Amino acid sequence: VSWRFGEWRAAHALPLGASQHAPVGQAVRAGDIVAAGTTYGTPVRVQTARRLGVGRADVERVLRVPVGAEVERGALLARTGRRFVRAVSAPVDGRIVHVRGDGDLELAPVVDRWTVRSTLDGLVTASDDTQVTVEGAAWGLQGVAGYGPDAVGELTLAVGGPAEELHPSRIDVRQRERILIGGARGGAESITRAHACGVAGVIAGAVPAGGLRVMFGDDVGAHGRPARDDAPTVLCLLGFGHAPLPAEIFEPLATLAGSRAAIHTASARLFVFALSSALQIGARPASVALHSDWGALRPLVGAASLAEVTFPSEVTTSAVVTADGPIPAANVRALA
Amino acid sequence: MATVDVAGEASSSRFGPRTDGADLRVTIGEPLRLAILVGREPANVAAAHAVALGANADVVLVQSAGGVGTLIDRAMALREAAPDAVLVVADRGDKTGIVELIEALRLGRGGSSRPLALLVAAEEGVRARITASASPMPVEAIPDPTKARSRESIVARLRALRRGGGEVVLRDEAIEAAARSLAAASGRATLLVDVSGSSTSLVLARADGGLLAAHSHLGIGSGADRVVARSGLDRVRRWIPRPIDGPALLERVFNRARWPDAIAPSVLTLALEMSLARESVAHLLRDARQAGLDEAALRSPQWIVATGALARFPRPAQTAIVVIDALAPEGTQLIARERPNALVVAGAIGTRSSAVDLTDTTDDLALVTTLWPARTASVSVTDATGTIEERVARGAFFLIPTDGAVRLELLPPPRGSKAPRHAAQSLALGVIVDARGRPLELPPRDAERLPTLARWYAAVAGLPIDEGSL
Repeated sequence: VSWRFGEWRAAHALPLGASQHAPVGQAVRAGDIVAAGTTYGTPVRVQTARRLGVGRADVERVLRVPVGAEVERGALLARTGRRFVRAVSAPVDGRIVHVRGDGDLELAPVVDRWTVRSTLDGLVTASDDTQVTVEGAAWGLQGVAGYGPDAVGELTLAVGGPAEELHPSRIDVRQRERILIGGARGGAESITRAHACGVAGVIAGAVPAGGLRVMFGDDVGAHGRPARDDAPTVLCLLGFGHAPLPAEIFEPLATLAGSRAAIHTASARLFVFALSSALQIGARPASVALHSDWGALRPLVGAASLAEVTFPSEVTTSAVVTADGPIPAANVRALA
Repeated sequence: MATVDVAGEASSSRFGPRTDGADLRVTIGEPLRLAILVGREPANVAAAHAVALGANADVVLVQSAGGVGTLIDRAMALREAAPDAVLVVADRGDKTGIVELIEALRLGRGGSSRPLALLVAAEEGVRARITASASPMPVEAIPDPTKARSRESIVARLRALRRGGGEVVLRDEAIEAAARSLAAASGRATLLVDVSGSSTSLVLARADGGLLAAHSHLGIGSGADRVVARSGLDRVRRWIPRPIDGPALLERVFNRARWPDAIAPSVLTLALEMSLARESVAHLLRDARQAGLDEAALRSPQWIVATGALARFPRPAQTAIVVIDALAPEGTQLIARERPNALVVAGAIGTRSSAVDLTDTTDDLALVTTLWPARTASVSVTDATGTIEERVARGAFFLIPTDGAVRLELLPPPRGSKAPRHAAQSLALGVIVDARGRPLELPPRDAERLPTLARWYAAVAGLPIDEGSL
């Protein structure tokens, strides 16, 4: 978790049914469509190779429309012969989704359409019908876990300070399509309200784990849950429960408010599209400590020393001794 | 003597004389996402799961030829699962069902350039059809996984994928080698129970060389959220000896999962680690049962040795009570724990050499005897200070501290056996008598659960809760 301006890479996984994807080398901006496709209904198997009397290897040669094409009912799919014609036509409207190993075709009706948008300004560096990768320069902040679909919008400060909680009362429809900067905690109520108001995404120091279960289901974990469905977008920067943001994280966020930004949930990163000179990052990274009962995190400020300490759990280990008491050294992390 | 680096969640520790580098490196290995495509035969389904447990692969999807769903549904599920390897186990004579799954795999994979290992166990004719349907994906033929010896070769293939091309010893390999060496040296059926931040292993080695192994990526650290997701939050919460609401506990679990090598400074966090360790082991045991492994054998070895984080709890009693609660063993066992990483290091060396030095690698903790007396029974414990006879009623759980060599006798002897005597050398704790019954149940309501837990912990001095620090 630290700010860095540089080249980043964002891989965008595509669902089944891609009909087009941006070619390698294409320049894109965050929010641009990099792939589009269709969602399929129940497919229909169309006897093809056997009906035409050809082998599997020859099916694609006799197809009159390419695999992936959308066809209408009755459209000619494949044909052989001149005098004694054998032909296969589409029994339903749909797309040819697959040529089976035995040479039959799978034709599936189109029930919906989808698009995938870039989360980076940059160039497409890899592209196939399963994934599109974009690389480009941006200010980036690595979080610990991202949930929901990717989001693109204007970065907007929704709290007065790094230790404040994101309150539902501060969220309304004027923040539609923006990415809200929460403080120490973004509760489930705030996040669901933000989603209902059309907010693109919420970033916060911590999100309650129980709230994540409410929003994303009981099997949600601590390692994020990228999704494509209609769900809130959440980026946890430090952890779960309650985590006031260190000044080294919050002040640049406040400075960059108003800039275009994107959340890439699969990598749990926030990208902000601003000049490299927009921020001056100090050489000394912030430190964050895990609370003694692991229920929260807090920035470590002030002087500290190292000592060997026996804790109430009877674990004896190297500890960082602060004015608030000792913390196991392993439970203190520099946000480098 | 070889120098071995043992990787933790975020750092590694070095054991051996060298300071400039290590001869061997023990790691958890790369995570391996495994999809299982299998026929309708329950034996094949179980065998596929046994392979996954043996190879410590994460099963991301199981599709059966008898399952419901269209080709599109299956292909979408396979696309979402993004497996690194696919294990196909076809039923004898069933072409249609398994070929349908292979078609879904090819459709779901699309034009992906991501490498995929497609391992197929099928009769020759079926395999030819699978190869035709899978083309252009290369197919690797594997032997029938329902046979234990065949499973070993499949596990070796999958483990090679987890090494990621590096010359490393996987932690599960090291644990298996250590279990083999201990069983061979002691002549006893030995169960190694290993719990680390991101993995849990149960390895039973017999003196005749037989091995039963199950590994998973459950753990008390980065695997902690998986334990909650799979076992349920309530199962983890029930072992915490104070009232705590689910969301508050979940926050602690999630923070631990994202904080590699975190230390438990408070009694509550230590209790949470112990609870996660119990459920990691118990869940793996349930998985092993479903995969057709011999659960009874895993529960009743002669010697149980705890390793990893399980062996590093501050008090020996904490290791012992977690092992007893998680395994719910039957009969009488000797429980021991490794000295910090000693067995993992010995096991790593054992994967490369037959000369393994096991001296000073373990400390014996307790003799544990489990009974469910029809009427009042007694145990007689003889040690350096003399003989003590204790009556045992149903529900009892207590520790008889001992000094020096110990002999344990059950009175009256269990039906159908002579008066069994169990002996051990010096024990860190003594003899633990467990008459709580099997399966081990905890009352659901806090009002009854908390005093019960407090009594069990107090019986073995398992937590410093009397000092009011919880």
